[in-house]
Amino acid sequence: MTPDLRTRVGRRAFTATAGLGAAALSLRVLDGGRVVGPWTRSFGDELYAAGPAATILLHNNENPLGPGERAITAIRAQLSDPGIPAARYTSLVPDLSDALAARHRCRPENVLVGCGSTQILRSATFAYASAARPLVAGSPTYEECAGVARLIGAPIRAVPGRPTLHHDLEAMIAAANGAGMVFFDNPGNPAATVHGAADVASFVERVLRASPGTTILFDEAYHDYVTDPAYRTQIPLALHTPRVIVARTFSKAYGMAGLRVGYAIAHVDTIARMRALQYPSSTNALGLAAALATLADDERLAAEQRRNAEVRAFTLDWFRQAGCTPTESQANFVFVNVGRPARGVREACARQGVLVGRDFPPYERTHVRISIGTAEEMRRATEVFGRLLGHGKTRPRKNTGHGITATEKHG
Amino acid sequence: MSLSRRDALRRLALGSGGSAALAVRGLEARAAGRRVGGQTADVARVTPRSAAIRLNSNENPLGPSAAALRAIERAFTSAGRYPMNARPATDDLRALIARKHGVRPEEIALGAGSGEILDSAVRAFTSGARGLVAGLPTFEAPARVARAIQSPVVEVPLDERGRLDLAGMVRASPGAGLVFICNPNNPTGTIQSATAIAHAVQGILGASPETIVLVDEAYHDYVGDPSYATALPLVRRHRQLIVSRTLSKAHGMAGLRVGYAVAARQTIERLEGWNMPFNVSTLTVAAAAASLADEPQIARERQRNAEALQETVRFFQAAGMTATDSQANFVWVNLGRPAQAFREACEQRGILVGRSFPPLDQTHCRISIGTMEEMQRAFRVFRTVLALPPATVAGGRAIAS
Repeated sequence: MTPDLRTRVGRRAFTATAGLGAAALSLRVLDGGRVVGPWTRSFGDELYAAGPAATILLHNNENPLGPGERAITAIRAQLSDPGIPAARYTSLVPDLSDALAARHRCRPENVLVGCGSTQILRSATFAYASAARPLVAGSPTYEECAGVARLIGAPIRAVPGRPTLHHDLEAMIAAANGAGMVFFDNPGNPAATVHGAADVASFVERVLRASPGTTILFDEAYHDYVTDPAYRTQIPLALHTPRVIVARTFSKAYGMAGLRVGYAIAHVDTIARMRALQYPSSTNALGLAAALATLADDERLAAEQRRNAEVRAFTLDWFRQAGCTPTESQANFVFVNVGRPARGVREACARQGVLVGRDFPPYERTHVRISIGTAEEMRRATEVFGRLLGHGKTRPRKNTGHGITATEKHG
Repeated sequence: MSLSRRDALRRLALGSGGSAALAVRGLEARAAGRRVGGQTADVARVTPRSAAIRLNSNENPLGPSAAALRAIERAFTSAGRYPMNARPATDDLRALIARKHGVRPEEIALGAGSGEILDSAVRAFTSGARGLVAGLPTFEAPARVARAIQSPVVEVPLDERGRLDLAGMVRASPGAGLVFICNPNNPTGTIQSATAIAHAVQGILGASPETIVLVDEAYHDYVGDPSYATALPLVRRHRQLIVSRTLSKAHGMAGLRVGYAVAARQTIERLEGWNMPFNVSTLTVAAAAASLADEPQIARERQRNAEALQETVRFFQAAGMTATDSQANFVWVNLGRPAQAFREACEQRGILVGRSFPPLDQTHCRISIGTMEEMQRAFRVFRTVLALPPATVAGGRAIAS
């Protein structure tokens, strides 16, 4: 799934110089974390970055390695195809739907492809929430469904999370009564925590029984990063009940945030209902080709999961040693109690060339969401965090003994 | 295919390292296969749909410019980044478009094709109480979305020359949420003059100031008629006016999904809330920025299209059929027979033509303009399907039906 609801240009912009070696660039970091660089000034070759980026981007939960060679090869094949697919509305959506159906052992009619899973979240909200049918969501959570609910005048029942930053399942079950849709991100964003299969099964069973008009949307954007063995995908359940939807994305572990492909798996009737309300021509030929080419690349996915898990462990350990409390992250980001407002941390980090996540009310006074970059990026970023958080705290050790390996070079 | 494009393709293929030789061979083999398929009637009959000549979706057959392809290649390093984090970023594209049209960036909304702009406009501005006004036939997407969200739709039939009946649309507009003016109109290709559009916008908003007018200029770059002009300057005067454009047509990027809207800041804000976030891919942002900066290619494409369009109109005139005065990259022809049967017969022979546009689907068909070579091959198939004698074109006689 996508990390940021919508970064808008804030009123206050400030200038930061990223002093990271010779490649330093003068960057303007706008409120909300959007970076504007010198490339905005003209549209010649200087538009395109040469050499390593001077800024470390830890604000949008992207995979720092990108989509990999197989995807790029597939895109090049599209561009050199004599049929010029880039010129054509004809799309690879049916091909990708077939491939996804094969992978998830279902029919293509159980699949809805979208422009990132963001579009899937929107279509589900269009289909299942209304003025009469509220949306239930955790708090904090990924904001897209609530944004759409506001557009269509659907009430929002925001259910505060537990102290561990897990969803409060009992409270969500109560809130689901009479609701149109429950949004359940697992792992959660920004909390990064997961709920195990048994808890989820009981949750679904109770919601479906107590509130027959309610549909549950599981957002599994970070599915591939989960290492907790108690976790399971809800895809098998979604195929059996018309009232459960699972959203997935190529933006995270597949490294394709820029290519805009995600999908839903659900019952045929549920998919049909969402499709009827979804803008149909939303995906691009290059992204679809890349998704097709890499969907079954389990080796690269496993390597990315290992790489992320190692760097995540390093990052969590570093924060613990710095006296901060992170949640039990099962994703490619951490949510850390740094004991001070996120905004100040964000601005100070940006001035030193590290971008971290936006505000997540009601935790914006204490918690920061930090995406997991490469091992080298996290080493450099934790130096910046160390300088920033150092006052009055134990100076964190730079070398934690955690093996940061060269796995990140993979792909 | 232009030389510069060929050159870019070769470089792309070479850029892919070990697979370069394979890519080039594959390209040539497939191109050769297409030629064979088109020239032998028996082979053409069994041409698979993927190898057919596509005259069904008003695409630019040459595709993205060489500059756009190079820009995509250079943006590969950003493919893992959301479009606002890429180089160039979404905001860079927005700023470029704003500069091109002499407006501010906050007066631009980007869409995944202008289709998303149309989709969002219907959702943002129509409701059960405030409907949509559109031509009939016109591009169907706005009416389809309106019906999906239960907004009433008023369709105003075209005039006898296949042009939007602007006076009729003005009369239908009081209290409407959105008036959709497609200029040139799809599927007829006809235009309304700059004066007529200005008059209609004034008329609609004068009588119904809360209504939003959306002028869809998807085919703007193809217009040759000197009475036509973009409605963009009117945006300054009318806060309730939106003009949409796309890179799917003359820029050859239908598969890359990018278009945009220009309107007053308040109107863009209302519209953009309904757009998907991160709606334009990182690679597409780069391609679009490069393509918009390359104005000469659009002049070349306009010229190329005009020549093939003229040949096509001549072909049908010689067959005794009337076509509208198309100002776009397609023709709207009165075949005197149902579009569906004609379409199916053509498809069997490797030519795809446009879908049915009720209520004129019993007589008219929309045919997109391909390359001159594609059109010559299509004419041979049309002659067979329409049972025209081989000499018909030269003789200009009417067909017997």
